[in-house]
Amino acid sequence: MPTTKFSLDTADINNFTYDMSRCIKCKGCYWVEHTYQPGARFSTRCPSNVWNDFDSYGAFGKMRIGLAVAEGKLEWTPKLLEIIYSDPLCGACDVGCKRNLDLEIELSLEALRVKAVQDGAGPMPVHKKIADNIAKKHNVYGAAHENRKQWVTDDIKIEEKADLLYFVGCTASYGNKEIAQSTARILNASRTPFMLMPEEWCCGNTLQSVGMLDEARALAKRNIEMVKSTGAKRVLLSCAEGYRMWKVEYPKLLDIATADLGFEVIHLVEFADEALKNGSLKPVKPVNVRATYHDSCSISRLADPWTPYSGERGWMGMVNPRLKRRRGTQGLYAQPRNVINAIPGIDFVEMIRTRENAFCCGAGRGTKEAFPSLASSSAKHRLEEVKEIGAEVLVSACPWCKNNFAQAASDSGDSVKVMDFAELILASLDA
Amino acid sequence: MISKEELAGIVGAENVSNADTVLLKYSHDHSLVPAGRLEYVVWPTSSEQVGEVLKWANTKNIPVVPVSSQEHFNGGAVPRQGGIILDLSKMNRILEIDKDLKKTRFEAGVTWGQLTSELAKNGMRIIMPLLPHADRSVLTDNLEREVPTNTVYDYGEPMMAFEVVWPTGDVFRLGSASVDGYPDSMSKGGNPSGPGIDFYRFVQGAQGTMGVVTWTNLKIMFETKKDKVFFVPVEDLAYAQEFLYRILPRRVGQEVVLLNNTDLAAIIAEDFDAEYEKLRATLPPWTLILVVSGLVRRPDEKIAYEEKLLREVVKNEFRELHLSDALPGFPGLGNKVLSLLRNPWPAHLTYWKNRWLGASQSLFFIARPEMAPLYVDIVEAIAPRYGYPVADIGSYIQPIEHNRACQVEFTFFYDDKDTEAKARIAALYRDTAQALIGEGALFTRPYGELAPMVYERAANYVMALKRVKKLFDPNNIMNPGNLCF
Amino acid sequence: MAIVKEAYRALEAVVGAKYLSDDPAICEGYRSGPGGYEAGLGYERVMTRIPGAVIMPKTTEEVQQIVKICIRYMVPYVPYSTGFYGPRSHPHIDDALLVDLKRLNDFEFDEKHWYANVGSGFIYAQFQEECLKRGGYGVIGGGGAQASVIANLIGDGWSPLSHRIGLPHRRILGTEMVLPDGEILKTGSLAVGDDPFWGDGIGPDLRGILRGYTGLRGCLGIVTKMAVKVLPFQPERLEPTGISPDTALALPEKRVKWVNYIMPSKEEQVRAMYEIGKAEIAGAVTKVPLFWRAIAKAECKEEFWDLWLKETPESVANFHIVRVLLIGFTNEEQLEYDEKVFNDIMQELGGKPRRTKPSDESWIKNADSAGMWLMCGSYVSVDYVIETLGQATEHGQVYADLKKNYTPPLMPDHGDPGWFQSFELGYQGYSEFLIYWDQDEDTTGVDHFYLETSKMNINHRFYTSLIGPHQPMYLTGPKYGPNYHEWMLKIKDEFDPMWLCHPPVPFAHDEFVKRAPWMHKLEDWESPREFPYPQWLKEKMAAEVAAANAKK
Repeated sequence: MPTTKFSLDTADINNFTYDMSRCIKCKGCYWVEHTYQPGARFSTRCPSNVWNDFDSYGAFGKMRIGLAVAEGKLEWTPKLLEIIYSDPLCGACDVGCKRNLDLEIELSLEALRVKAVQDGAGPMPVHKKIADNIAKKHNVYGAAHENRKQWVTDDIKIEEKADLLYFVGCTASYGNKEIAQSTARILNASRTPFMLMPEEWCCGNTLQSVGMLDEARALAKRNIEMVKSTGAKRVLLSCAEGYRMWKVEYPKLLDIATADLGFEVIHLVEFADEALKNGSLKPVKPVNVRATYHDSCSISRLADPWTPYSGERGWMGMVNPRLKRRRGTQGLYAQPRNVINAIPGIDFVEMIRTRENAFCCGAGRGTKEAFPSLASSSAKHRLEEVKEIGAEVLVSACPWCKNNFAQAASDSGDSVKVMDFAELILASLDA
Repeated sequence: MISKEELAGIVGAENVSNADTVLLKYSHDHSLVPAGRLEYVVWPTSSEQVGEVLKWANTKNIPVVPVSSQEHFNGGAVPRQGGIILDLSKMNRILEIDKDLKKTRFEAGVTWGQLTSELAKNGMRIIMPLLPHADRSVLTDNLEREVPTNTVYDYGEPMMAFEVVWPTGDVFRLGSASVDGYPDSMSKGGNPSGPGIDFYRFVQGAQGTMGVVTWTNLKIMFETKKDKVFFVPVEDLAYAQEFLYRILPRRVGQEVVLLNNTDLAAIIAEDFDAEYEKLRATLPPWTLILVVSGLVRRPDEKIAYEEKLLREVVKNEFRELHLSDALPGFPGLGNKVLSLLRNPWPAHLTYWKNRWLGASQSLFFIARPEMAPLYVDIVEAIAPRYGYPVADIGSYIQPIEHNRACQVEFTFFYDDKDTEAKARIAALYRDTAQALIGEGALFTRPYGELAPMVYERAANYVMALKRVKKLFDPNNIMNPGNLCF
Repeated sequence: MAIVKEAYRALEAVVGAKYLSDDPAICEGYRSGPGGYEAGLGYERVMTRIPGAVIMPKTTEEVQQIVKICIRYMVPYVPYSTGFYGPRSHPHIDDALLVDLKRLNDFEFDEKHWYANVGSGFIYAQFQEECLKRGGYGVIGGGGAQASVIANLIGDGWSPLSHRIGLPHRRILGTEMVLPDGEILKTGSLAVGDDPFWGDGIGPDLRGILRGYTGLRGCLGIVTKMAVKVLPFQPERLEPTGISPDTALALPEKRVKWVNYIMPSKEEQVRAMYEIGKAEIAGAVTKVPLFWRAIAKAECKEEFWDLWLKETPESVANFHIVRVLLIGFTNEEQLEYDEKVFNDIMQELGGKPRRTKPSDESWIKNADSAGMWLMCGSYVSVDYVIETLGQATEHGQVYADLKKNYTPPLMPDHGDPGWFQSFELGYQGYSEFLIYWDQDEDTTGVDHFYLETSKMNINHRFYTSLIGPHQPMYLTGPKYGPNYHEWMLKIKDEFDPMWLCHPPVPFAHDEFVKRAPWMHKLEDWESPREFPYPQWLKEKMAAEVAAANAKK
């Protein structure tokens, strides 16, 4: 039987026609994995298909649509763009499919957006505005670049040179300064010297997520070069989206392996876990709350390191050389839980859907900007779960999650307090 | 006009009769349903003959009442619109007993007496309703969904694949007996479902209105090696029900029945006239009988683990219940009851329900077990209005499959020679049924005058049922006047 | 617009604009293939269409209104729960309205009387978890954890747990359905009230039209709600463990235990099943096909083939495993009892124990059916038949012999004779024969094999699941019953005289054979020149076939 060459490059949707054509509509992408299936309530994991019930909004529908687009059988229309972009690309479908079938669902969805951009149909207008902001002001908000470091207060000690570089990201730099400040204070408290990027620009998450690969790639190159020029050995992020960009998407965009970046990418949850274990961080102050933790997609199921792949597919769909599938097993699941559980006084309670089965907040990867109602309904849906388990505080490790949850809670008049992981840790440290 | 010659041409002259004694015998039964009229009784000896008779009757628009048992208690076989009785009692062959496949195949005329004795010779048994008359057809009682006393199995339907002759005369095998050439086939007839649709459902509970079932496969099981019969005297029925809700889902017990003193006395009295009243007076108001059985392997250990749970539950949660392997004051009752539960009521004896006054009428329905005490209250409130003493009501509660439901049966005893009493019982029966229906009692087997009471509440079901019936029986020849047909 | 405007507007008034769409992108998402059950086969290519519009009702009453509108405006419609059953659950003609039932997701549980009352959108994994929480359990049918409970129960509904739990048709209690004539039919205790606790009919049982062993594939109305029996299990929690894909339920060892034994030969393997049934022990008793073990061991598709291609016809033929689930339903002592009895049987028959993990990866909360696609990308079970252990243990070899003639394109399986297991404590035996292929290859042989199995079953006098709409009705009809098809068609005509409900099912496979030139040489049974459709359907299908031919 003839073989077909393919790679995991999302710039060519034809790389994924095999995956799209093998979707069996089992809907393992939509429902919480059966082992962890909690029953009548909180049983789903796809924000997109919960927001809109038609099959087309689930990965199984999008695989069929993707195939039709790849074959030129479906024209770009506003409805088609809505289907493709009303999706936080949270990876729940991908791990669901890889439970049994190992189809590259996440990459197929990304490739479909790249195809939309290539065909001149995508992204959504608001995404274009964000791209414009990034191009002109180096941040997603269009804020003045010179204000990027305004979050730094006098008490925070930042080195000129250090092995650890804290990449703050647009949101913590401009909107959620408390996250940047908390992160910096945690680093200070652990006596870990760190530096900032001399000229920090946007990580490019939105660009990559909406299919603007060229623009995202340019940022990746620039940012990696900048880190290399500082000599940093580790890049630390407090933003989940930024973490995924640095750890997964940059290597993907540049066709290199994560291991070949030349530096290590870590998230604050990993750092804190390490620091706890080596004794440099001591959470001694009781935090007397009943708290739960939301697994942000980009540090959990989307966080497996990247390895480039190109090869051939042949008989029975077997690939050569062997492909180590990214199944979301290497996410930062244990670390944040280790840390939170070490905080005295805390009454930690798990959500009903956790780890790879977590229900995305719905904000990420260009969704909140283009489809605020999806982001809002997803967050409210997740907050119902928080209420179900009786938690007072919802902790996440991403400013996108925090903002989205906080806004949803405020809109609904919920009393749930939303905190970033950094804030919680800081609260437990002796001042 | 019905031509005797034509019938004789199908089944042979010796198998057709319109002798007065014969017609009289088939015109009535033990129930309150008024006697009917019929023209002939026909005894086919093969499925083909059944098919020919039905084809003939369908062509001539002649009512056909299929009968397989020798004794009838519910009025379902009393002709309502004349016609012929199709008596399958001569089709009484036990065709197979297969111990590996745990099934038997037999014809419609095979009786409980016949089958249980044949199975016993093979070390096998069958799940049974409480004391079916030995001369009743096993096939009919299963088809009519008589509720077995066994509560432990996860499935309550012992019938497997069978053959039905449709009212048009077409001989049809359903389920996995539908394969070409059955039984000379790889398929052995274990599955009643299909082909295409679940035909077997249409003839269940149909009182012979949908077709004639000629033979069936039926589940059988190996005889128990050892049994232990437990008795629990019950004063508070609701409390006993809670106990059953607790233990039956834990799969304890082989046969489980709950009888009041009136019924239990009628069952266990040997010298009836001498013993009955005394038994009735001394038995507890209700008695829960629970048989724990050791099966073919390690019987003692099986009984031990079930008994352990029973004793723990009683000790820790139901302290007011007295669980014992003997009913105080009734020595040797365990063995007697066990024998009664595993055998049909002997043919040579008057049926247990009729021993007391000569006749009886039972009212039985499916219910949520927790509702049973309410139903008892209702019947006890109504009976005195008809001069029927509360103490004379026979009450029997049969838990079903882990106690997910139960069958409740009330029996009113009367002297069948006393026409006034009979009329009073008929009125009591009718009013009680109406009151029970109003409180959710589910009459899935609405015989006689119960049918209109039930069906008036099921308009859509009736409409669909009639449409299905018409497809199989376009001229409504099968036992017309029953159910909603 | 594919569906007439008036109908569309009327439908929109029923559910609101949010839940009705005829947008091409929405309809494309409901395409049957190319992946999935019967992937890439002729039936899927020839017989399936994307819907003309999709509607998502929320209640039985909305479904009823939809059906009535469809009747008024002559809109063909197809009920659809999860769409996992491949082409046969998708529209077969153009411009059909797909009635997506996922929003009918009601759920109530009666703990005391052991049933759950669910809507068509409620899936097995949800159902089973709700049961387990309450010390009960049900069967997750072969359709898998994500299959609709109702859809699966009216066409399938069994698993190895059926050794104790029993056949699916026995688990259907009070049920609500909309008949193709727009009338609501309530069966069981619901026929006379609003309590669904009991399943028997009032008199004759109209559950008969709900299913027929393997179902009517949605051509006789839309089931919207069903009370489903739950069976008592045991009270200990089965704890989920691991990160996907390596997840499992940790078993409470004193209450639930899987054990595997290798038997000296098939004879002892079969005898073990008889003896277990005779002793009335265990919660599941099954043979496991060797390739399932390879699937379980393999890290990925490629590794599966590494493992599988090392096997030989001899190794497959000599693999006689009995896998048994022991359950202490009553108490821990029951598990001890069952285990002792089982060990006695194994000792008598020379069974040798194999290592078994104290966890459940499949069957208690999953059927892992999606895994069947891993090896080749395409799969179908050509038979999944409940009969007796007498048939079940002999059935697979006949399939294996026939299959040799069609390998390739079928996957090389070293003559694997499928699997069999005990149902209802040995009263029934179950056999299933699965086939796999690569849909990128020429699948003509698979189409032929599928149909030839029907003839094989007829000739060898086996009962089979694939009758009714799964195979040509005029091929199987005269040979089962006989003439079951004639009665089935009478019922179809009675309740759906215009054949608007999922046309042309149940003649879809007859229609496929007629339309697919490569199938013609197999047609050696008597079939009418024209199928007995209503005129509109004849005309519409003729026009569609003509258009397709013109396109070629």
